[in-house]
Amino acid sequence: MTMGINEITLRVSEVMINELKLEDVTPETFDVDMDLVDEVGIDSMDLATVALALQDDFSIRFDEDDYPKLTTVRYIGEYIERKLSS
Amino acid sequence: MIPMKNQNAEKIRKSKPSCKFADILSDPKVKRRWEKVRKYFFLRESTYDMTRKCNIRCKGCYYYQGDKQYAQNNRDPEAWQRLMRAEKKRGITYVVLAGAEPSLVSELCEICYQEMPLGTIATNGLKYIPKSIGYKIHISVWGNDETSYLIRGAKNMLLRQVENYKGDQRAVFVYTFTRDNIHEVYDVIDILATYGCKVTFNIFSAPVDYDGSLRHTTNSLLFTRKTIMDLMSQYPEYVIYSSYNVVAHTHKFGLHDLYSCSYPRMNPSKDIGLGRSFRQYRADLTWNRNTACCVPDTDCYDCRHYAAGSAVVTARLFRHASHPLTFKSWLDYVDTYLAVWVMGYEKGKNLCDEFIAPPGFGVFKD
Repeated sequence: MTMGINEITLRVSEVMINELKLEDVTPETFDVDMDLVDEVGIDSMDLATVALALQDDFSIRFDEDDYPKLTTVRYIGEYIERKLSS
Repeated sequence: MIPMKNQNAEKIRKSKPSCKFADILSDPKVKRRWEKVRKYFFLRESTYDMTRKCNIRCKGCYYYQGDKQYAQNNRDPEAWQRLMRAEKKRGITYVVLAGAEPSLVSELCEICYQEMPLGTIATNGLKYIPKSIGYKIHISVWGNDETSYLIRGAKNMLLRQVENYKGDQRAVFVYTFTRDNIHEVYDVIDILATYGCKVTFNIFSAPVDYDGSLRHTTNSLLFTRKTIMDLMSQYPEYVIYSSYNVVAHTHKFGLHDLYSCSYPRMNPSKDIGLGRSFRQYRADLTWNRNTACCVPDTDCYDCRHYAAGSAVVTARLFRHASHPLTFKSWLDYVDTYLAVWVMGYEKGKNLCDEFIAPPGFGVFKD
């Protein structure tokens, strides 16, 4: 069964919260349009860590050139959706 | 058409990892080291020339190349304090106080330390930096005293450096291998070890347009590689290094070719990481994105500088998390970097003693 975009973004939020130990937020309340660099304050190493966890989780491959451009949970979710359907 | 070296890099960026990251972390030693180093992922650096003055003139010194040497000194303590506060606001958590010789303006270093408690001072070690400045202190060594005198014009340099910094937990001696001083390192380390001093290594990286005798050749890089491995086995208590440091810094390809330099000077992206946050301030507190890197005016294609590697190799987590040995090697590199640059960080035993190739490249052998 294929995952829908909402399900994917929820899972992305969950992985991000777990990996980065974000407090005061749940996967359900995570603003998927929040800029991860400017508003959440994550840096390249954080994003690489999240990308590695998401690769495992969804059994896909992030291209190293792509992940710095994945600046919101929504973008990441859409990226994963494209990978899953290709 | 993509040049050959970049084709390799392209391949590694697109290739599938041979195993899952979770599988790599299933080794408890790897998992522990990963958890240990990732606590420091918050470090975001910028570098600062503190003054245009230096008390010696070294051949091949990067500071006296390019136009940064002509910047007017800003010795206003309040200006430095304002700069540090502004830096904190834009997310900088780590400072490197470098050119030309920060020990000559220790009162400004003190102000930086009061505002930004994590950092390193790069010094020639001839003038003691007060203990109240709790940064790591990197003391540059360019051969034995005879060679130092020839290249740097200072007499009894090593003994004066050791006298200033023996027993000082801040101090790491940085031996720079040039083409000509490789064999001299044994005498130098013997002295440093006698006084209990820690040492790490730098590989001379030619400034732009430099064509002097210090520039490495493939043979001198291989000889340096062999020598460092020997030193790591002879002086394990004093040498802070790993096999992967050796591979990365003595490879026939420089750091940019191997890892794609992430400093603004070679990285146009402002999206995230060093390309976004790194600045290299001159002594007049201005900076220029086009020249911003940790060793400005170095020839980027000859760059094997230890400070550059500390950012460029560590930033490449993603591509090293492809195979257990590659990841162990990367962890050793990061562990080494933190021990050299962060006060209070203790290096663990290296996880991988083998030579592991940088992703997309070979090891580079005879």
